[in-house]
Amino acid sequence: MALFPTIFRKNRRNFSYLSAIILLFLVSFSGGEVRPFLGYLSTTIFYSPFYRFKTNIEDLKSTAEENRRLKNQLAESALQLSLLNETRRENQRLRELIGFAPPKDFRLIPVKVVSLLQHFYPISAVVNKGSEDGLYENQAVVNRYGLVGKIKEVMPRYATVQLLTDPSNPVSGRVAQSRQIGIVKFSPERGMYLDNLPADADIKKGDLITSSGLGGIYPPGLAIAVVDTIYPNAGEILKNVRLRPTADFFEIDELYVLTEDKR
Amino acid sequence: MRLILYIFLLFLLAFYNTILGELMSIAGISIDLAGLMVALVALYRGEATAIWFAIGAAIVTATSRLDLMPYEMATLIGMSIVINLICNRMNFYSQASRMIMLIIFLLVHNIVITAAISTDAIFFALFRFILPGIFYSIIFGWLYFVVHDGLFGFQRAGSVS
Repeated sequence: MALFPTIFRKNRRNFSYLSAIILLFLVSFSGGEVRPFLGYLSTTIFYSPFYRFKTNIEDLKSTAEENRRLKNQLAESALQLSLLNETRRENQRLRELIGFAPPKDFRLIPVKVVSLLQHFYPISAVVNKGSEDGLYENQAVVNRYGLVGKIKEVMPRYATVQLLTDPSNPVSGRVAQSRQIGIVKFSPERGMYLDNLPADADIKKGDLITSSGLGGIYPPGLAIAVVDTIYPNAGEILKNVRLRPTADFFEIDELYVLTEDKR
Repeated sequence: MRLILYIFLLFLLAFYNTILGELMSIAGISIDLAGLMVALVALYRGEATAIWFAIGAAIVTATSRLDLMPYEMATLIGMSIVINLICNRMNFYSQASRMIMLIIFLLVHNIVITAAISTDAIFFALFRFILPGIFYSIIFGWLYFVVHDGLFGFQRAGSVS
């Protein structure tokens, strides 16, 4: 009976090396199953007490303030809704006239940020809902100020959101006023900027940049950023445009996952 | 008993990543607690312990960003083996040599993870975030050395008075 513990003790070093190599191999080459499983174990064992604690504290702090804000917002929204309904009906009529498919309807799943991964700046967040709540990969994530990112990985009760401040998460953006398209990118050095915009593009400070809908992940029209600075472009073929994100990525707490309404 | 200590350290890491990290971050510069903990375990404990703790720390750290898990695991395990071997086989037991090992560990860990996220502006990130972050982290590393090696403690404080 004591054979295995004895073998383990005698070869502890080799056993550790072998385990590390196997685990590293599994995590690297069959990450699709192994990584979410390990992430789930880690969140369940180590993170969930702190997630719950943080969520409770945030709830307590924000309830009264949230109530006041929501009342104001409700009044404004009711007004906007009546105006939008009229615009929607008009839009529908125009779309039918020119043969466009109607835009997809979305509904919002509210989620709370329980952990913000800051590798010097925020690049990813863990939210308190997962596949059990209907979340899946590549859903757009917004807050009340605009687009924040997309769902990157999903676990049963948690999901990770890849933020727009992650340099490996560029998004196709459109200048809302002139309808010209560029790529919104983030760099630690330059901050958020608009790339691939022709030098002669019609853009000015204060213009809103929204998602273009190209790429199929983000629906069109979500606010991303506002034009902050346009640098002079002597002899260059592309414009150098610095953006100010509409969302404050250091202060994200409540987010909404856009999910297609199947109704 | 030791196992409980390492589990406690992993809980501390999760607590730091969830709550404490935001509070202790100064102008975007934060402590690399995972690197610091794994390096200290590798410097003071055996090889097998260092490997297992590095595996645990890599999993806990990469939970917020699962695609970084292979990089976290490879760096933390690889560097913990390297500094453990250097310290134990070459008898690097002085505080200065341990501090150098710690700095190299944190530097490699941060550069690898930053490059895994994006190689864009890596030199900017090195000077703006990584080096100040390492400086911030080694303050805590140095405090650990001082307390652990008894350079400052209650007994010593008593003997001085």
